[in-house]
Amino acid sequence: MAIRVTAWGIHVPNTRIEELDDDSGLGPACQPERVGELLGRKGLLAKEPATRLALCAVHRALRLPPAGPRRERPPDPRTAVVASSNLGNVATVQRTVQTLRTQGLRSVSALDAPNVSSNVLASSVAIWFGLGGPNLMVCSGETSGLDAVALASTLLRAGRADRAIVVGAEPDDDIAQAVRAQRSGVMSGMGGPLRAGAAAVVLERESAVSTAPILGRVQTRTARACLPDATNVGLVVGPADQAKLPVPVIDLVWRIGDLYGALGVLQVAVAAKLVAAAPFDRCVAVLCGNPGDGWRSVVLHPGRADRQPALSGTVAAA
Amino acid sequence: MFIVGSAVRTCLGDGEATFTALLRGASGIGPLRYFDAGRLNVKYGYHIPNDGAEVSFSASQWLAACVYEALAQSGVDPKHERVTALVGTGLRELRAVERSTTECLPLYVERLHFASAVRQIAPDMADVITLSNACSAGGHALALAHDLIEQGEADAVVVAATDAMTESMLAMIGRFAEAPTAQIRPFDRHRAGVLLGEGAAAVVLSAEVRSGHPLARVLSTALSCDAYHETVPSAEGIWRAMQEALARGQRHASDVDLVVAHATGTALNDATEASLIGRAFPARQGRPLVTAIKGAVGHTSGSAALHSVDVGIRCLTTGLVPPIVGLSCPLDEGQALNLVIGKPSRASMQLACVNAFGFGGVNAVTLLEKAA
Repeated sequence: MAIRVTAWGIHVPNTRIEELDDDSGLGPACQPERVGELLGRKGLLAKEPATRLALCAVHRALRLPPAGPRRERPPDPRTAVVASSNLGNVATVQRTVQTLRTQGLRSVSALDAPNVSSNVLASSVAIWFGLGGPNLMVCSGETSGLDAVALASTLLRAGRADRAIVVGAEPDDDIAQAVRAQRSGVMSGMGGPLRAGAAAVVLERESAVSTAPILGRVQTRTARACLPDATNVGLVVGPADQAKLPVPVIDLVWRIGDLYGALGVLQVAVAAKLVAAAPFDRCVAVLCGNPGDGWRSVVLHPGRADRQPALSGTVAAA
Repeated sequence: MFIVGSAVRTCLGDGEATFTALLRGASGIGPLRYFDAGRLNVKYGYHIPNDGAEVSFSASQWLAACVYEALAQSGVDPKHERVTALVGTGLRELRAVERSTTECLPLYVERLHFASAVRQIAPDMADVITLSNACSAGGHALALAHDLIEQGEADAVVVAATDAMTESMLAMIGRFAEAPTAQIRPFDRHRAGVLLGEGAAAVVLSAEVRSGHPLARVLSTALSCDAYHETVPSAEGIWRAMQEALARGQRHASDVDLVVAHATGTALNDATEASLIGRAFPARQGRPLVTAIKGAVGHTSGSAALHSVDVGIRCLTTGLVPPIVGLSCPLDEGQALNLVIGKPSRASMQLACVNAFGFGGVNAVTLLEKAA
């Protein structure tokens, strides 16, 4: 069964690089405090920045009109949501404790109750868009974004859903920055400042959209990352110092900053856009991870029926 | 699909000690440790015994112990097989984020999730994925494990879960409690809310049995999301999960002999769940028996589903079903259920249904069958 990437949305405020234009026609990405302009204002109270950005990325991927009325309807049980974020709620967790200790329990906001549970981002997307299929929140560190893509594919292959929306988001508040900066051992000192942003991709089982890019199997690498001999790879979206192929590399961390749990999803969104854009007719490989959390990779293939590659064995092992 | 290893840590001890205590009707409740109970409006908790001060990254330590024990029991060796670990959790190691501020303790961002804790025990584990799926995280991990093995992505999967308490979650529990909750009273007319329990669990899932006997068969785990409200359950979403579990497991509602309920002792969950159990599995001739464990071990968040799975396995194996600790006067919605009250029930059982529901309306319902 082929899994296709049928849509994508990218919402990274304060950047205008071409690769991050998701072709939604919804204009530049707004800051978390202004997302009402895109989403409509009702229901945003007490939504954390990462959740707001995630909602925007999904809104873009679904090509919904700006600030249109949200449809009241029963949840769609055949659409799954798989979200990825590591730091989305750390600010709420820490602020709740500070408020408790300095101002007392009555000053703790009851509206923050859902936000102290890390899955608030995934469930908020489901509630906002009415998506009643399996709902997963992945918090796996550096590989989290591609872990989410992998698990969404698993859900689709298992017939648990016909469509899966994968969304990754991170905030860049002071608390998230401070937590992100605290790394141990070989990882200390690595990486730049956290960058707020979100991306979403829509994955579907073999669908009517027969030209959409085909997602290969997400592969795990336990050794030093490299992508040798991958069939027909024309481009790598991943860390420049790890991509060992003689092809161009788009290093999003170098270009825009550290998106941590959102990165893998953003990479797949960018790769899907590139694969779908004629006349690019080669595969795009995606790589994310680090020596501590390990490495994950996936290859996106052109979706046109006349040149579908074999899906097995197209991603070489490290 | 077989469960070939299972290990548990609760306030009552390991899996066997927990089950023995449950049969006695014992509870592991005690005064809330490590936190200012007065400030939180939460006086009690279900702590894993510890004579000393609060241990940093304790959720990781309990998890590692369970993974080690379950792997050893299973005969599965990640060095020679493709083994993935899926770790379910409600609160990750967010306690470390809190203590980094309040006590200036060290925090390592890569230890908010559980890859390093699992790899410490099993360095050859192919993938370690942390699923933060609230109070049904372990059930979600179990469903995905089933799929990964069926799809040929893994030979075996370590399905694990762990949670310590966070001050921020306790604050929310205290914030909504009119008075401090004295105990969890699942399905009781006088239930007064939830309390947290510490704990971890690990089961090893595989299509093959390596050595000895399997502990149980997993027929199915169904997943659904209410897509309704962050903290209020929806009958529709839970009903879908229950029905899908039967469909995926190819069993009829009348086949279910035992329900290990989620039963958090909260007003909304218990009324909704009791109604749905009665509707999905109508009581006839004393079946299905309905039990729940949170009155004895607390709400162990991400581990709750796997704790119930371990108890479900032991019920099927021994033919004994522990009483619901904390329940004396059933709620209206539970009047028609065969709730186990006061003392254990003895029954010959083949099929158990395990419920787990979480914040955000995330539901996981598992069907376990007695191993031949």
